[in-house]
Amino acid sequence: MRLLALAARRCLWMPPTLLGLTLIVFSISHIIPSDPARVLAGENAPIEQVEALRRKFGLDLPLPQQFFRYVTDVVSGNMGISLYTQRPVADDLLERLPATFELAIYAMILAVLLGLPLGVVSALRRNSLLDHAVRVVTISGLAMAAFWLAILLQLLFSMKLNLTPVQGRIDGWGPDPITGFYTLDAVLRGDWEMLGSSLRYLALPVMPLAIPAMATIVRFTRAGVLNVMSSNFVFYQNAMGLPRRVVIWKYILRSALIGTLTQIGLVFGNLLAGAVVVEAVFSWPGLGTYAYNSILQSDYNAIMGFTLFTGTVFICVNLLVDIAQAVLDPRGR
Amino acid sequence: MLNKFGPAVGRRAMMAGGAALGVSAGLPDAWAAGRTRFVTANNNPYDILDPHQVFDIGRIAIRLNMYDALVRWVDNPPKLDMWLAEKVDIAPDGKVYTFTLKPGVKFHDGSALTSEDVVYSMERILGMKKGAYGLFSDVVKPGTTKALDARTVQFNLAKPFAVFMAVLSELWVVNSKVVKQHEKNGDWGAEWLTRNEAGSGGYRLRRFDPAVGFQAERFQDHFAGWKPGAVDDADFRVAMETATRVLGVIKGEFNTTDGFLPAEQVARMRESGKVNFVEAESIRTFYFIINNAKAPLNDVNMRRALCCMFDYDGFINNILGGTVVRNTGIIPNPMWGAPKDLKGYTYDLDKAKWYLSQVKEKLRPLQIGAMSGYPQSEQGAQMLQAGAAKIGFDIKVVTEPYTTISPKLDDPDRAHDLVPLWRSAYFADPHNWTGYIYNSRNFKSGNSSFYKNERVDELTDKALLLTDQEQRRPLYEEASRILSEDAAGLFVYNTKYYGPFTKNVKSVRFCPIGDAQDLRWIAMES
Repeated sequence: MRLLALAARRCLWMPPTLLGLTLIVFSISHIIPSDPARVLAGENAPIEQVEALRRKFGLDLPLPQQFFRYVTDVVSGNMGISLYTQRPVADDLLERLPATFELAIYAMILAVLLGLPLGVVSALRRNSLLDHAVRVVTISGLAMAAFWLAILLQLLFSMKLNLTPVQGRIDGWGPDPITGFYTLDAVLRGDWEMLGSSLRYLALPVMPLAIPAMATIVRFTRAGVLNVMSSNFVFYQNAMGLPRRVVIWKYILRSALIGTLTQIGLVFGNLLAGAVVVEAVFSWPGLGTYAYNSILQSDYNAIMGFTLFTGTVFICVNLLVDIAQAVLDPRGR
Repeated sequence: MLNKFGPAVGRRAMMAGGAALGVSAGLPDAWAAGRTRFVTANNNPYDILDPHQVFDIGRIAIRLNMYDALVRWVDNPPKLDMWLAEKVDIAPDGKVYTFTLKPGVKFHDGSALTSEDVVYSMERILGMKKGAYGLFSDVVKPGTTKALDARTVQFNLAKPFAVFMAVLSELWVVNSKVVKQHEKNGDWGAEWLTRNEAGSGGYRLRRFDPAVGFQAERFQDHFAGWKPGAVDDADFRVAMETATRVLGVIKGEFNTTDGFLPAEQVARMRESGKVNFVEAESIRTFYFIINNAKAPLNDVNMRRALCCMFDYDGFINNILGGTVVRNTGIIPNPMWGAPKDLKGYTYDLDKAKWYLSQVKEKLRPLQIGAMSGYPQSEQGAQMLQAGAAKIGFDIKVVTEPYTTISPKLDDPDRAHDLVPLWRSAYFADPHNWTGYIYNSRNFKSGNSSFYKNERVDELTDKALLLTDQEQRRPLYEEASRILSEDAAGLFVYNTKYYGPFTKNVKSVRFCPIGDAQDLRWIAMES
């Protein structure tokens, strides 16, 4: 019951949060002295052509009116028309969603699978050679710019070792989508060659997203485990003679993971934002490249649509994290 | 490697995609073994397929390959070939153009292309007010284009317009019957044509994904026929990052990419030994827009001083590694109308100081608005800044995206003092470089320097009334000399095209209009 109340409370906060987010993004994108109608019309376009486009997209209206119109449209499920693709922004986003989610989910899985054990082991062997090595890796992972890392990976794995393609999502044009997640579609079809191909294409773009995420998870897991290890209840359990692995996996890890779980929620949001750069480098046809192009073209509706969408995902993921946290730690209810 | 799943998956996809896309012809045998596939990496998304909604170089491959026009630019320097048109009669007053269409031209759905389709295409451009609308809006009024019979179409211009033939290359003919079937609420079928095609061009659409690009197959029944080695299947893919495009070409994932890459990327591809280059002087000039309306830049001596502060040789040879050619005027060297003896300005700081001393207006620090994401624009700005600094003249450089710079260019008070950028070729006529960007009639729609000179206006206006190139040539040459004398802009170089192609590409017929993206002229090994 308490969990439900918590979820309901969090849900109630969503609309004002999203409205605030929309207002900020709308203000920032419209304060920049840009004129998408002029860009859309082209260099030599007569002023009447520019004005016609301005009217068509409502860019001639006062800003508060534009904002009000946008919000009422969004509430009714209409995110507007992309100035550049001339299609509904919602359609554009939905079309590209599976590509980005597939990338982010694999990056997350890799980050968690590597990050959690490394974090635990680093804490258990504090100040050992392994701990120092992990620290170097994690600090480097956090410090390296994603686009730089992406290009280095291209040079090493694609060009030098010839193990992966430079760019793209699959050999050729890919299959007719079932879910749009190519690896899942391949499994559903029983097409193992397609599965191999999509994994080969995923390998490189996943890494620059997964490495910083993994670094964050390692740092928080390590800190959490060290913190819990110095707790009285751990001393007590050790004194009781409980086997070490039971103490670690049953008691320490459960308590230590609460902080890490919060971070995982935040990291997932960062993965979506980080995809903007990584997707551009690998020509990955997802939301990131869409956002990248929209920014270059001052495509207001598309920029706001992407931000609103990412913000919603971020809020939803954090809601799930809050619930999971409450399950793990009853004090949070 | 390029499409491992091609034979199995492509056919299924084509069945579903073809029906959805409205590609009405039956299933092609495109996936048969031994067909050639050419993959282009583009630095611009192909998000709209409608040839009348876009008018840019970045997406020109759509128009060049899936559509035809009455005329077409070929070779370098570009010459205008009759394409859908068999012949043209121009009335002595230069206002009536009567075209006879070639017989037997078919759209991709097998129906005949007629003069009604040409009329509809012109009305569509005028009605939608998008894309190339600005090229025609002054001279072609809605309802004035007539289909005299199935193969004869007549344009009745509001006034003589010498570049009409040249700009007709942007009148891409759509299948009017198909497009009309998809019109909704008077939208001219815009929504449908955004994701589908209704053309007669050399290649017909097979698949389209705005996030990835488009795939097309050779249209065997194209009226112009085909030569041996012509590309069977064409993939046009989006790859925004320069490094990715370059690595993709070296690795063979792409067969080509844009031909205006930074010098170090060209060198990198050369060193790989896996790429051949097609080198040609193009018609794309790099210059600084100078805001002539704002003091002290309204003083010719100030503008001349700036022209003497720029180290042309240093920029061209040291920074750009000699990959471009000095162009002393606004019209590109290879174009007719560009005076061959135009000396222009040289880097001479003593002369710059002298010009500065002659400026009557009060001097102030100037601001250059360089375009972010375009290293040469930023480097050019810094080069001018460095030259000015040597004689104690203060220039500030701000870097902004073109989308921010562009709207300011409509207003002399908001515009930067100088903006370094390129003038690309949309059609090969000196008017593209002089009339459009320096005639004072075009303030706010091309003339972003707010330059006004009555003689230049007179010359460029007069040149538009004449149809004989030899009569127009001296007018543009004189206009170009005046622009240089007045230092209306700071003219730097003409671009050289370095088109990278993988070794299995055997021949390329380069034309600066479209930058070799017209696949009809490419032959490759199987």
